Amino acid sequence: MPTFNDFVTTVKNDLLDFTKENLEEYKDEILKDGNAFVEKTKEDLQRWTEGLASGALSQTDFEFLLKGKKDLAKMEALKQLGLSKIRITKITNGIIDVVVGSAIKTFL
Amino acid sequence: MIIKAKLLVSISILTFCLATWSCSNISVFSPEAYKQAVDLKVESLELMSFATSPYADYEENVTYLKTELRKAYEFALGRPNNELSAGQWEILINEEGNLLGGFLKRWETEDALSEMFVSEMQTLVSDAFDTIIGLESGKIDPSELK
Repeated sequence: MPTFNDFVTTVKNDLLDFTKENLEEYKDEILKDGNAFVEKTKEDLQRWTEGLASGALSQTDFEFLLKGKKDLAKMEALKQLGLSKIRITKITNGIIDVVVGSAIKTFL
Repeated sequence: MIIKAKLLVSISILTFCLATWSCSNISVFSPEAYKQAVDLKVESLELMSFATSPYADYEENVTYLKTELRKAYEFALGRPNNELSAGQWEILINEEGNLLGGFLKRWETEDALSEMFVSEMQTLVSDAFDTIIGLESGKIDPSELK
């Protein structure tokens, strides 16, 4: 007859596999998003500085754009925070599946 | 046998608690909110392209767009556990800020804006809408919840 220890061992192994698979995927996604934002900001700043120098942008335009980028960064941060919460929800649902699956494997 | 039953009950309670907790953090996907954001992105960028012309020629269009943006914000604000999306809308439409709300106010104040400024602001506003759309599309479909 299976014991509680058998169940714990099964859950631990199943959770380890689940975590490895999911965290790797999320880590890559977050790094990709962050790097893309930094790269785009660098390109924007270069273009705006050139626009200011050539007179295509006024000082007020330039400052407005910089502050706009800051507002955009806040919106991006809210998106990332929301996506993190969604990932946690998905991971929690995955953990539920693992625990229930392990219980069924062990006891039924 | 009793131990096994107790264990299964404990697992059920744990599962219920985890499921309840995981569902209470952020709103689920809303096709209506998604469509609203996509439609308003297209309409906003289109109207912004005319900001090199006198504001008076487009005043009615701006008033209409502002109303639609306000509706989208109020819709986001009214959905449960939707503070993050509502926060994004608030930043986007804030007249004292430096995205769409601030841009429309500046157009009204200055009458016409420079071509490069308009074009650069369109890119920023487009990216801003994408953050709203990206968060909404990342939300869990209600049918996926257990």
